[in-house]
Amino acid sequence: MAVGESQVGSGSEPAEKEVEARTGWRNTLKKIKRDTTARWGLYVIGFVLAVTAFTLVDSNLSRFTFGAISDFALAEALPVLEHPERLPAPGEAETNQPPMFHADGSLSNPLGTDPNGRDYFTRIVYGAQVSVSVGIAATFLGLVGGTAVGAIAGYYGGWIDDMLMRAIETVYAIPPLILIIVFTVFVSGGSPDVRFAIIGVGIAFIPVFARIIRSEVLSVREMDYIEAARAAGVKDRNIILRHIIPNSFAPVLVYATLQIGVTILIVAGLSFLGFGAQPPTPDWGEMLNTSHGYMHSNVWLSIWPGLAIMITIMGFNLFGDGLQDALDPRIND
Amino acid sequence: MSSEPLLRVENLKTQFFTDAGTVRAVDGISFEVHEGEIVGLVGESGAGKSVASMSLLRLVESPGEIVGGEITYRGETLFGLEEGPDGELRERDDMLSNEEMRTRIRGNEIAVIFQDPMETLNPVFTVGGQLREFIELNRDLSGKEARKEAIEMLREVGIPDPEERYEEYPHQFSGGMRQRVLIAMALACEPNLIIADEPTTALDVTVEGQIIDLVDELQEKYDTSFVWVTHDMGVVAEICDRVNVMYLGEIIEQAPVDELFHDTKHPYTEALLNSMPRPDRTVGELEPIEGVMPEAISPPSGCRFHPRCPDAREVCQRVHPENKEVARADGYPHNAACVKHDVFDVGYDESVPLDKEPQMTASTPSAGDDGE
Amino acid sequence: MGLLRYTTYRFIQAIPVLIGISILTFILANLTPGDPVRLMTQGQEVTPEQIERIEAQYGLDRPLHERYLDYMAGLVQGDMGHSFHRNRPVTDLIASRIGPTLLLVLSAYAFALVTSIPLGIIAAKRRNDPFDHVSRIVALFGVSTPSFWIGIMLILIFAVQLGWLPSAGLVYPWWSPETYGHSGYFEHLIETMRYLLLPMIALGTLQMATLMRVERTQMIESLQGEYVKLARAYGVPERTILRKHAFQVAQLPIITIVGLNLSTALGGAVLIEFVFNINGLGRLFYEAIIQLDYQLIMGITMIIATMFVIGVIITDIAYAYIDPRVTYGESE
Repeated sequence: MAVGESQVGSGSEPAEKEVEARTGWRNTLKKIKRDTTARWGLYVIGFVLAVTAFTLVDSNLSRFTFGAISDFALAEALPVLEHPERLPAPGEAETNQPPMFHADGSLSNPLGTDPNGRDYFTRIVYGAQVSVSVGIAATFLGLVGGTAVGAIAGYYGGWIDDMLMRAIETVYAIPPLILIIVFTVFVSGGSPDVRFAIIGVGIAFIPVFARIIRSEVLSVREMDYIEAARAAGVKDRNIILRHIIPNSFAPVLVYATLQIGVTILIVAGLSFLGFGAQPPTPDWGEMLNTSHGYMHSNVWLSIWPGLAIMITIMGFNLFGDGLQDALDPRIND
Repeated sequence: MSSEPLLRVENLKTQFFTDAGTVRAVDGISFEVHEGEIVGLVGESGAGKSVASMSLLRLVESPGEIVGGEITYRGETLFGLEEGPDGELRERDDMLSNEEMRTRIRGNEIAVIFQDPMETLNPVFTVGGQLREFIELNRDLSGKEARKEAIEMLREVGIPDPEERYEEYPHQFSGGMRQRVLIAMALACEPNLIIADEPTTALDVTVEGQIIDLVDELQEKYDTSFVWVTHDMGVVAEICDRVNVMYLGEIIEQAPVDELFHDTKHPYTEALLNSMPRPDRTVGELEPIEGVMPEAISPPSGCRFHPRCPDAREVCQRVHPENKEVARADGYPHNAACVKHDVFDVGYDESVPLDKEPQMTASTPSAGDDGE
Repeated sequence: MGLLRYTTYRFIQAIPVLIGISILTFILANLTPGDPVRLMTQGQEVTPEQIERIEAQYGLDRPLHERYLDYMAGLVQGDMGHSFHRNRPVTDLIASRIGPTLLLVLSAYAFALVTSIPLGIIAAKRRNDPFDHVSRIVALFGVSTPSFWIGIMLILIFAVQLGWLPSAGLVYPWWSPETYGHSGYFEHLIETMRYLLLPMIALGTLQMATLMRVERTQMIESLQGEYVKLARAYGVPERTILRKHAFQVAQLPIITIVGLNLSTALGGAVLIEFVFNINGLGRLFYEAIIQLDYQLIMGITMIIATMFVIGVIITDIAYAYIDPRVTYGESE
């Protein structure tokens, strides 16, 4: 009788758990749809992603598009054409135009131009590409690395756990911005680049994801169906990949969404200091760096990129908050 | 029995206004508590007992609100509505203000012992500090006197080494000891009425017994009245003088305790008694109540118990029974809200028995096989 | 006794982490393609002999682990190496720059705590009122806006447009008033505040917003606690419940967050010191990075990480002191 029961248990419980997880996701989606905060977050994220998609299509298929924006993009905004020598010295910016609502502004450059004479609106639009793709890629990297480290530490326990947790504590102790700068600069041999920044951010975020996954794994590990799978001789690797990680993923997802906002914030700071995206690549942080020298002559140059960063991050924060409300039974019930 | 009760509740209604609709948690209950009495408020969880008891102190939490009825304590109106000139209900002039409720009633006239001793004490303050604060507040004692009183009270409720325990934090106390602290807290404020909201539910059985004995003893000593909220008929039998049985926000039977146990008038009370473990019966003989209590947000038509009632007939779906006097015992009425009794005269005997509808039920797969 | 033991225990616990940090920074510094000398001399014409001489001078010709052990031996004695570019000991450089950073970070924290806690409490108390909505929106802006951009905007408004406050540098209160030509300590203090105000707000806004959100959630949760119900049932005034009963419990997570957020604040100091031209550690770090002064970079990274670790330990001890449930010596 006992044997029969355990066999039934090992066969049916994972299935039940999966059904539960699936209806859980469905309920969550429903709650997100009802949650105003999350919905607005989704709108903003959708908008920013659409802009990013547009710039990708525009720059790759530019011969099929037409109009002022893509011309500007091709001629002035893309890294393909470098004109660093055209950058006038701070203070003597004659070429830069104010935004269109200004008396001297014109409709063809809605947000004016930068000191280089490049259309600022185009650069802001193109700036989304770097910020969003770096934000998502770096977070994803941290998520994957953190999941691996956390799952291994939580599942095996013992000295493996101890070693990994000490390593994580070490990484965590260095403020992310500092760690990323040091990593980027040293690994690139003194010529920082956005690709190194992505890897740096990914490494800096391993600890937070690893900790969440580890604590989830510790609670999931004790569950009956994991015991059953182990007793049935399923390989460790398969238990981790098929059972433990999928069941620990909900809180990580919320965290990742919120973390994308943080990543964009950090990468903006990185570019602002000159260690992220390099000119002439249009990037909001980098644009703020350049505009820093023109604070007296053209105030607007410092305003637009900051607004763009703020709105983008706000989108991810709103969505993350909504997701958290939807997944957190304490506040919701 | 004195003519004027200590506490009189009449037609009390408390509702929760939620997104999903109005929940009629307490739907017109009436009962009295006399000096020195322990009155039980019994029912399954969700019956509205706790909401009812919190309504007495006007401490219903949002989105809940007392919407009707009258609560009188020693001639003072704790809650009362009247019709204003515009036809709208408004609070009566003689109803105590929130400030008066706080300073004059809560704690020093009516005290509460809560259900969960593990959560009820504040984890970051010492047990003694919390006790002293409430004594100071409700008895106008100086800090020093209050401290002495607190230690005395801790000793009274059977806490060993009260001087030392006074300085300790709640997490250093066991569940039973914490419940003793809460009892000390209630008694130390010298109230005339204590509302005990399932004070023993979170405790294990032996500790439960000790606590009940303690309350019994202290009740005799201080002559405090109690409203004892519980779902456990065993506890009722042990401690209560009179009992009110609640079902879905209504009181469906009220009687002195012996009368209730020996001459049960309502099928629900009967079911509760049958589901109670007793030494003279084996587990197999226990009869859990069929089905689960419906949500108070959409109570069944007619008698609210009819979907689960073994005696339900067609008439029960239509007629909502008032709580009427069906017998008398010890000078108290024995009320029941069931049309089975003659006083209702709605043709119960002629009515057709109801076929049991298949319903979602967690317990007793085949208890309802009524065709024999 | 218990608390003292706990404090010692926490500091001992931090030693492996500090060793880990030194290893990590050392590895990072040596991960670089080519070698440190090439980094140091970037852009300059150097002969192979010169490189060799420099390598020998800094011991760079020896194996990695030996150099690490040397570095460690120095660290223990408070010697963090020598700045190639500035030709001064790293320890001296750091000591001369740490003051402004501490002033900046601590004042930003003071600003954040003083504003966030009352606002969070009121928002929790008036949950779903207009006040709550407004403060939540403000907090959302706070967590979504880069601190350096807030700094730039503050400069634009208060320094460039209005001309009320200075836009760069700090007045150090620990220097004598005469250094600045101030007539007395009062003026000295006012000037210190005038210079500090904008960078403090720029750095503190993110902290304020984060803490306000946490405070609000914690207070909402605490106000729903059974102990609040108990206090109400015994006639405790609402104000006392808010200030004492609910508040005390709600503060515990805040303490932890304050410690952990030191990480963002220290990183943010680099940006804010850059924007406001403050000669603190952050700016020194920036300059060291630009100059690829690798000993200095390692030293500053080490110091900043140590500051964070100590900050976390201090908040842990504060937590243990306030929460009676923490058993000293066994908790994480």
